Amino acid sequence: MADLFTGAALFILTVTALGLFKVLRSEIAVERMMAVQLLGTGGAAAVLLLGAATSSPAMTDVALLLMLLAAVSCAAFTSGQSSHTADASEQAEDEA
Amino acid sequence: MTMLLDLALVAWLLALAIHVARARDDQGAIIAFIAFGLLLGLGWTRLSAIDVAMTEAAIGGGVTGMLLLRAEARLRQRSSQPQTPKRTTKAAAAIACTVVAAGLALAVLSFPSPAPTLAPAAAAALDSTGLGNPVTAVLLAYRALDTLLEKVVLLLALLGVWSLAPDQLWGGAPELRQTVAPPPFVYLGRILPPFGVLIAVYMCWVGADAPGGTFQAGTVLAAMWLLIMLASLRPAPETRRTTLRLLLVGGPVLFFAVGFLGFAVADGFLSYPEGAAKPIIVGIEAALTVSIALTLGLLVAGPSSRAPAP
Repeated sequence: MADLFTGAALFILTVTALGLFKVLRSEIAVERMMAVQLLGTGGAAAVLLLGAATSSPAMTDVALLLMLLAAVSCAAFTSGQSSHTADASEQAEDEA
Repeated sequence: MTMLLDLALVAWLLALAIHVARARDDQGAIIAFIAFGLLLGLGWTRLSAIDVAMTEAAIGGGVTGMLLLRAEARLRQRSSQPQTPKRTTKAAAAIACTVVAAGLALAVLSFPSPAPTLAPAAAAALDSTGLGNPVTAVLLAYRALDTLLEKVVLLLALLGVWSLAPDQLWGGAPELRQTVAPPPFVYLGRILPPFGVLIAVYMCWVGADAPGGTFQAGTVLAAMWLLIMLASLRPAPETRRTTLRLLLVGGPVLFFAVGFLGFAVADGFLSYPEGAAKPIIVGIEAALTVSIALTLGLLVAGPSSRAPAP
């Protein structure tokens, strides 16, 4: 059973990593930020599976933190971004 | 299967690190660095260092990312042309990084096998502290002095940030957002913090017997507080407020007080009386969690940028 869980974790990590590098290379900043969210979700899933494989319940807490902080850093990113887009829209209005 | 997983993890960590170093724009590099912090947290769990994994996820993935993103946004506002470092600067940075990495690798590889360890001694003395988590026992009982000084260093760092404020703004509030927060952000700022506070309290409490502890709890609390301030739901506090300053120093002061009390009731500085170690440690942890949360939150918020209200 432990091998099955580890294999599933490996599969999830592989898929996440492939997605991660695809998204990180994107030209659009918001898409790159979604990479962090992707890793938050995929990483939490992998940690949960590994926790089940090694039967260490504390791993669940790590997954909890990963989820929470991935969401927070996405929010922090938008806070830096909104002023930027606001400037851009003001510029567009000025040009119009 | 486990071996394959570990090799894959190492390969991805290396690839991500190279991506961070090669990223052309600062924002892209910071985002990849946040992802690196989260993945590194996963790496620490593979080494069975779950406490370290939590700290790495909280600091590397959460607060450092926020700090860097804010710094980058501020730099971008200030200068219209992005500055690219010169070739010599880049080469010097690359050489310095390579030397440090090679030195660390050499140090790790030259460990005798089996490596010298105090782990059995730490586990054997665990009963006398009443704790169940050996990491907390090391941090708050065996090596409490290191932890105490570390918290003082955090306060010094905050003083350094505050002292960047111009004279007329001293004591005023830092400003986290100039524009109106977008509605989805405000929604997140209302929904997430209750869960975050619950998780932080849990982390602080569980730290005595299982992986977790003050630093992780404090970081989560700080992240939630920053989220509320960034969503403009509550303004940042004025840095001259007495309650704020008392709470900031409260954790380290309590730690010092308990330390000096050790002379009277136990064997000396920072030694706890027999049988009462656990309640004292949990009390110190609770006070430290509040201090750490405020310190980290204010570190990210930056120096005051508004004049104090008369």
